[in-house]
Amino acid sequence: MKIWSTEHVFSYPWETVIKAAMRKYPNPMNPNVVGVDVLDRSLDEEGRLHSHRLLSTEWGLPSIVRAILGTSHTQTYVKEHSIVDPEEKKMELCSTNITLTNLISVDERLLYRPHPDNPEVTVLTQEAIITVKGVSLSSYLEGMMARRMSANARKGWDAIEWIIQNSERENVPLCDLY
Amino acid sequence: MNSVGEACTELKREYDQCFNRWFAEKFLKGDRSGDPCTDSFRKYQRCVQKAIRDKDIPIDGVDFMGPSKDKPES
Repeated sequence: MKIWSTEHVFSYPWETVIKAAMRKYPNPMNPNVVGVDVLDRSLDEEGRLHSHRLLSTEWGLPSIVRAILGTSHTQTYVKEHSIVDPEEKKMELCSTNITLTNLISVDERLLYRPHPDNPEVTVLTQEAIITVKGVSLSSYLEGMMARRMSANARKGWDAIEWIIQNSERENVPLCDLY
Repeated sequence: MNSVGEACTELKREYDQCFNRWFAEKFLKGDRSGDPCTDSFRKYQRCVQKAIRDKDIPIDGVDFMGPSKDKPES
């Protein structure tokens, strides 16, 4: 089991960052994410928005690799639960893979909050628990996964920045539907 | 961004547009007046749930963090 965590600061206020986080895909930094669907969405009694999403990722695994891994899917799937609390200004996301679970488990948690010392910027805390199962090189592979996650985290931050910069123009609706 | 079910992508886009607008202009500004997206969500969902079954994607329960409104009290 490997625990990995990181922290990053975005130089934008919390509302701007989470609007981008909600619309993170597609973006040029994460080309492997090929499908995103909302499975459920609701408000709880405290006014927090819960969303359950399914993400599909395509790694282009050759069929022989898929045969070895014992998967008939060409894509790997992740389920994600997020909670947005607009009063407390917290957005929390938890995700876990739902395919290849006999081999590996990656549980990730992200938390976006305004910076405690500067409310104009946003802190993202990100952590993951990686468990490789039933393989004797598990701690080596887990270490490799953790390094991969650091590289991916950087891409994720760049993705959020890209979404923010490419969306700054679009917040004025052309006509009011309601 | 595509849907997991290719046939659902257009329905997804309609719903996403509605949701993103509601999220930015109502929800984040503290406006709790109704959800304008329930119709588009329902149509989109019917399509997605079918695609998930057809593709045999192992979604079991969706509630894996915190209490769920659907779980019975224990």
